[in-house]
Amino acid sequence: MTDEVDVTNVAGRGEDAPGGRRFNRRKFLIGSVATAGAAAALGGAADDLFLGGLQRADAAAPTVPEQLIRTGHSNNCDGACGHLVHVADGKVKLVEGAPYDKTTIDGRSIPQSYPPRICLRGVAQLENLYSAERIKYPYKRVGERGSGQWQRISWDEASTMIADNLKKVQTKYGKDSVWIAPYTGSLSVLEGVVGVGFRFASAIGAVAGDFEGDNEGDSSTPAGWNYVLVDPANPSNGGGFFDGHESTDFLSSKVIVLWANNVAETSIPDWRVIKDAQAQGATVVSIDPRYTATSAGSDAWLPIRPGTDAALADAVINYIIQQRLYDTTYLQQYTVAPYLVNPKTKKWLRTKDVGLGGNDYVVATAGGKLAAAKGARRPQLLGTFAAGGLKAPTAFQVLADAVAKYTPEYTASLTDIAATDIVALAKLWGTTHPVGIRAGFALSHWYHGDLTMQAMLTLQALTGNIGEHGGGVTTFAGGLTTLAFDLPGWWAPAGTTMFTVMQPMQACEAMLTNKPHPLRAAWFMVDNYAQQMSDRNTVIKALKSLDFLVVSDYVMSATADLADVVLPACTYMEKTDLLSSNSFYLQYMPTVVKPLWESKSDLDGVSMVAQKMGVGQYFNKTPDEYLKEMLHIGDPAHADATVAGLKWGQLVSGAPHLNMPTVPYVPFFNKEFPTKSGKIEFYVEMLVPYGQEVCDYKEPIEASPNNVLAGKYPLTFLSTHTKFRTHSQYCDLPWLNEVTANGQGFLEINPSDAQARGVAEGQVVRVFNDRGEMKVHAKLTEAIKPGVVNCYQGGWDSNAVKQYVEGHPNNLTHQLANPAQSVIPNFPSNAAYYDCLVQVEGA
Amino acid sequence: MSTSYVGIDVPDPALQKATRLGMVVDQDRCIGCWSCAVACKEQQDVGIGLYWLRVLTVGGDAMDVPAGTFPALTMSYQSTNCFHCDNPPCVKACPTQATYKMPNGIVNVNYDRCIGCRYCMVACPYDNRVFNWRAPVQEPPASVTVVGETPARPKGVVEKCTFCVQRTSDGLLPRCVVACPTGARVFGDLDDPNSKVSILLRDRPSYVVFPERGTKPSLHYLIRQGPNTVGGAL
Repeated sequence: MTDEVDVTNVAGRGEDAPGGRRFNRRKFLIGSVATAGAAAALGGAADDLFLGGLQRADAAAPTVPEQLIRTGHSNNCDGACGHLVHVADGKVKLVEGAPYDKTTIDGRSIPQSYPPRICLRGVAQLENLYSAERIKYPYKRVGERGSGQWQRISWDEASTMIADNLKKVQTKYGKDSVWIAPYTGSLSVLEGVVGVGFRFASAIGAVAGDFEGDNEGDSSTPAGWNYVLVDPANPSNGGGFFDGHESTDFLSSKVIVLWANNVAETSIPDWRVIKDAQAQGATVVSIDPRYTATSAGSDAWLPIRPGTDAALADAVINYIIQQRLYDTTYLQQYTVAPYLVNPKTKKWLRTKDVGLGGNDYVVATAGGKLAAAKGARRPQLLGTFAAGGLKAPTAFQVLADAVAKYTPEYTASLTDIAATDIVALAKLWGTTHPVGIRAGFALSHWYHGDLTMQAMLTLQALTGNIGEHGGGVTTFAGGLTTLAFDLPGWWAPAGTTMFTVMQPMQACEAMLTNKPHPLRAAWFMVDNYAQQMSDRNTVIKALKSLDFLVVSDYVMSATADLADVVLPACTYMEKTDLLSSNSFYLQYMPTVVKPLWESKSDLDGVSMVAQKMGVGQYFNKTPDEYLKEMLHIGDPAHADATVAGLKWGQLVSGAPHLNMPTVPYVPFFNKEFPTKSGKIEFYVEMLVPYGQEVCDYKEPIEASPNNVLAGKYPLTFLSTHTKFRTHSQYCDLPWLNEVTANGQGFLEINPSDAQARGVAEGQVVRVFNDRGEMKVHAKLTEAIKPGVVNCYQGGWDSNAVKQYVEGHPNNLTHQLANPAQSVIPNFPSNAAYYDCLVQVEGA
Repeated sequence: MSTSYVGIDVPDPALQKATRLGMVVDQDRCIGCWSCAVACKEQQDVGIGLYWLRVLTVGGDAMDVPAGTFPALTMSYQSTNCFHCDNPPCVKACPTQATYKMPNGIVNVNYDRCIGCRYCMVACPYDNRVFNWRAPVQEPPASVTVVGETPARPKGVVEKCTFCVQRTSDGLLPRCVVACPTGARVFGDLDDPNSKVSILLRDRPSYVVFPERGTKPSLHYLIRQGPNTVGGAL
């Protein structure tokens, strides 16, 4: 090694100002290796000689003992991958995939396990830790808000400022005028999406962003999932949840439908499961308006008009009903298909309504007689029956009537998929079992995303694919794992009152209109709200109107740019936490390296402020103590069944699999559905006021040729994910940026659309609508459907880093919320990013 | 701190006995994700702007752009690194024996002997060698991280993939093989008929790049299988 290696002063890199650019790269070391090589050249046969030189070069380096530490990568990836971090001399040297335990907590073996693998984003975490864009110290704003003028302050001063200002705002406008927004930038337990911010909100009486209803775009398909599978009014369902099949369960599928799910780019380590299933004979179908690596690796690609997915599902449902390919027994046993509907009210007909007494659902027996649902054998699925002076159809009949218009030809006109392909898909679906859907969150970025999910579940119910290995509709696996933790106890310890939820879209409105109450201060934790929330111009206006804004983050985000106080947060490697989301493994996250510079975990940062606000008594424990409490380790009477029997030693020495009833995990494996009826409710009574009791397709709210706006703004604007970052994280990593022209954003446009606008490859174009505009380089590609353009979201548009020529995709998106979703408390509103029309012209 | 792990690397003595190490890349599994390329940079401390391993799109003329006209499209990926040819033109071209062939088939470079003439780069038909026009810029800088066990390369030398010679000498797989998230990369002894690489080459159609040049590459591509067109296999 050489004297160039500075082993002590990791902080001596880059300028002090947050977002400051790096300077003075080190010169490369050469000395010791050259010496070793020269020595080696003195003798021996050429081949051995050179290898010998190599070995001597190794020997010349100081032998720093290497420690391998297992942690979980909590930065909002689908994979929630285990990371094995090589640490030497207190520094991270290499990151690779970590093994998982081969058994559940209660000792059952896991049938399918893969060797550890991570994707490029995981490998590059080494650079994320040491990024020159890290926020190193606390800062206070000294210029105009957003001006980028900062003064470095101490943690003591920062925490005093935050405490004083939050108290001031609460005194003036009420306790609920403070919004704490800990978000999905981290999916670990102690901080981020279910983290300490919520505990802090409960302690000081603030409102807080909700953990499940992440309505920055991931709420509409979960709402649809709950319509059909969950009774939101039942307290044991906690206001709604979202669950999926464990990723390895797709090995059991005979058909895998990758519906708006670009697995090969967004869930890379899952791709081998898909390919292994394909190698075993499964047919893989990609439904996507873009030709992606996923489409290229599938057996069939169906290039759909964006937003018409429910129409395609309806066409398949219609074909399956017409051809009688549905699973009669499954429909009778596990769904509401045979239940009669009152044609006037559209509500369920009850036994008391037809003179049978009691309040059961009503079915028609084989002989056409009315009977209570309970105990009725082989009730009729289709038909309309005389009932108390009414002609009452079965729920299945209502569905059949509603989807009858979705003939292959009509659906082809809606979806732009050839009628022959629609028939082929429907035939495959109706004659192969099981069929599993991997539904991308892309489907949730639509105003009617709830309806799309409702349609997919209806289709899966008809074909007997719900609660079956290899079936289901999965967006992400691991939703249930939060049950493993005593979150109520963590969020609202004795002596506090549970915080009130304030969703991001509601919060934006409250900042601007004081409705439902004033919202005058906010604290964002790993949340880049000012860039990632839709209708960004409105969001920035709202944030600028605040009396006080705190941002804790590990990089200087566009949101941090607007803060009054910026706190340097730790990355996942610098703090102790636990990762449980998005997989069925518990992954303890030990502190891998000491926090760099003056960064602190949110747990420590919040604790400092809490002391100064007089609520320090709720924040005086260590991370391990909180984790033991939350998991009720050593207190089996209170532990959730999924973690029953867990020992601390087991948790910290590996990655045990939760005690799920079946492995790989399948939701509703026992066919017990937590709905009002206990059956799959593809007829959704609570949606009658919204005309959505069955999944009859509706045109997108904006991105539709029927919209008058389409004359002015004819292009559907998608803002999808790229493999080179996760939302707005990793925009600053050299290994990822050097592949992508420094992360420079581009607009994918079909050459035919480009030609019509006189736009050439690489030209800067203006993308605009009534809400805003952005400028970006055009990338002409046949991979995108004509009439559709796409610009990868998440690139930075901060003071320091601009990855689009001007603006960001969210300058164009809107905040129209679908009122139907309000029936599911945890998923009440959604950012419909893709339901968006624009025009493009040369800039 | 939690328990220290022994790691996921398990030495395979067969690799140490190999007489012709080679690699098979399955284009049916490769998704062009660049994980191999990034892991290579991490393992070998390759400077910014330089690649020992990179991923080409087989299709249109830019990354991730398919061939054809919507919706009749095709696309696959071809990752490329030194082919460790059995008949390596670079070794013949090198005037200083800086580039040499090892008994296990690896074509290696001794950076101390390299005089930067770049004849090897001209001789290589595959564009798989890179030259340090400047002192390489390493990210993260070695001042904040720990440098790996790869010899450093000064300005003025040519570098390239070594099949992770420091790992394969210990019987470990090259980093790109360990890192590939889809299992598209397979490594082993082409001279051993029972190695995974030999079995794959027997079982699946494959090709090498520019066979007519007589270089006899040790990196083979398994040809993509099945249709990937609209409607496809439906």
